[in-house]
Amino acid sequence: MSLMDVLKYFVICIGLFVSLSFVVLVLIYAERKSLARIQQRLGPTRVGFKGILQPVADALKLISKEDVLPSWADKGVYWVSPIVVFVPAFMVWATIPIAKDVVVSNLDLGLFYIVAISVLSVMGLVMAGWGSANKWAMMGGLRAAGQLVSYEIPFIMSVLTIAILAQSLNLGEIVYKQSVVSYVLIQPMAFFIFLTSGLAELGRTPFDIHHAESEVVGGPFVEYSGAHWSVFYLAEYLNTFTIAVLSVILFLGGWMWPTMPFSGSLHTLLSVVLFVFKTSCIVWLIFWIRGTFPRIRIDQLMSFGWKLLIPMSFINMMVTSAVLFYGLHLSVLSIISVAFLVFTIWVIKKNSGSKIDRNTVRVISAQELRRANTHDLINTDTA
Amino acid sequence: MMNVPFVGLIGGLLVTIKTTFRKPVTAEYPVQKKRLSLADKYMGFPALTWDFEVEEPYCTGCMVCVRQCPTQCMSAKMKDNSAFSDGKSSRRKIIEQFEINLGRCILCGICVDVCNFDAIEMSHEHELSKYERNGNRVDLEQLIQMGSQYQRKVKWSPKQPEKNSGLPKTNKDKTKDVGN
Repeated sequence: MSLMDVLKYFVICIGLFVSLSFVVLVLIYAERKSLARIQQRLGPTRVGFKGILQPVADALKLISKEDVLPSWADKGVYWVSPIVVFVPAFMVWATIPIAKDVVVSNLDLGLFYIVAISVLSVMGLVMAGWGSANKWAMMGGLRAAGQLVSYEIPFIMSVLTIAILAQSLNLGEIVYKQSVVSYVLIQPMAFFIFLTSGLAELGRTPFDIHHAESEVVGGPFVEYSGAHWSVFYLAEYLNTFTIAVLSVILFLGGWMWPTMPFSGSLHTLLSVVLFVFKTSCIVWLIFWIRGTFPRIRIDQLMSFGWKLLIPMSFINMMVTSAVLFYGLHLSVLSIISVAFLVFTIWVIKKNSGSKIDRNTVRVISAQELRRANTHDLINTDTA
Repeated sequence: MMNVPFVGLIGGLLVTIKTTFRKPVTAEYPVQKKRLSLADKYMGFPALTWDFEVEEPYCTGCMVCVRQCPTQCMSAKMKDNSAFSDGKSSRRKIIEQFEINLGRCILCGICVDVCNFDAIEMSHEHELSKYERNGNRVDLEQLIQMGSQYQRKVKWSPKQPEKNSGLPKTNKDKTKDVGN
């Protein structure tokens, strides 16, 4: 590798970093505005035209803030963990294409690389929890580990389904294969699993138990402030954008489907516009879900992941491989997938609350307790 | 409807999409155009009403509000009404000086309740931030200005002819007065 190559990749890296930071700023503004509209508020209005410079002002404020180091903190781990969280989120972008051949490095094992790299951020969260020497942070870090490791399995399985369908792990190749029909029509079940477990991977509502304010007061980030906290924040929004772009590439046909008219550079431009439009739809869907659903409990999260999503994703993958192996028409797969989706939804509906409650701590009302106290507790104990 | 699977989750999403397209309820307070309008019954600081028929305040300086004020924030002084001797008004006495320390006023409305002539009313005035400690002492002129502004805004004036009217009394009324 010559010096020119090193310089070239350095420039690409800086360019990618700057553009992704810009995307994150836009995303923060968009989220605040759309959440505000969902709650009939206005959102930021003061800084710049319609508050458009608000994220910039926030970033400046965060950078100028003091970085506090708790006296009991494990110093090295504490300072390194934001970087451990951010670097995988950034590295993933080395192989994500946003248009034909607009990609840093078109890896043949792109999907594998993305899945492998994105898991690393769990490490950073656990490190942040441990390094903070704070019970809330520790608890949050462990919750993050449990949640992210659990939901990694359905996430990978749904991605694998697409890899089987496309017979490739190259993202460009996967998009190219969807030029006729996008995979969301063939595999709606995989799309559902991907989005749900993707939300859990991001730690966004309704799966944000690892930084739940009311339970673990901010989770692994409790002790962080200033620039280091903003790095966590940056990584979080970058991951949101990554999931949105990935779901567009894997399921919604990227820039290929539906095929744009014209040819040459106008075609390319339209394709990129289409890609950005689809991505922003998915991003907005994520914000919409955040504005709607309350946070689920940790036991609900675990039973949903292990008892429903993981079995369904395995079955879905096996059915996909069977359909491809016996050479059946893809519409068969589409019908089966829709049936699976309906079944999953039916199971969610049927098990809402009652069945899960039985395995959790029973909450005794004060009235009940008083009634129990007036009688002899030992004699009337019905346990 | 409720047996359809997923109706709860989808229903929640539908609720939020409905609220998304509603007009935001937030009012941007200091911006003049985007703030909420006051209701007519809004109770701001007390002000003196103005009799537009005979061009003088309703207040006769009877001191009842001054005496009833729980925070003793007001003071008043009456004088003989020159318009009465000219036969232009039926008010023998009229207010000469009136001062309210609005910084002390607790907006309880007792002065309004006890006033016999509806001469003092809770106006819509409520933004009175000042830099001086006693910057909110208002005199008769300002009080009347506040009051008449309020009257014009809500299109209201005291309307109890036998008690409040400042028009010169007819002969019949005068004889009645003497009789009493």
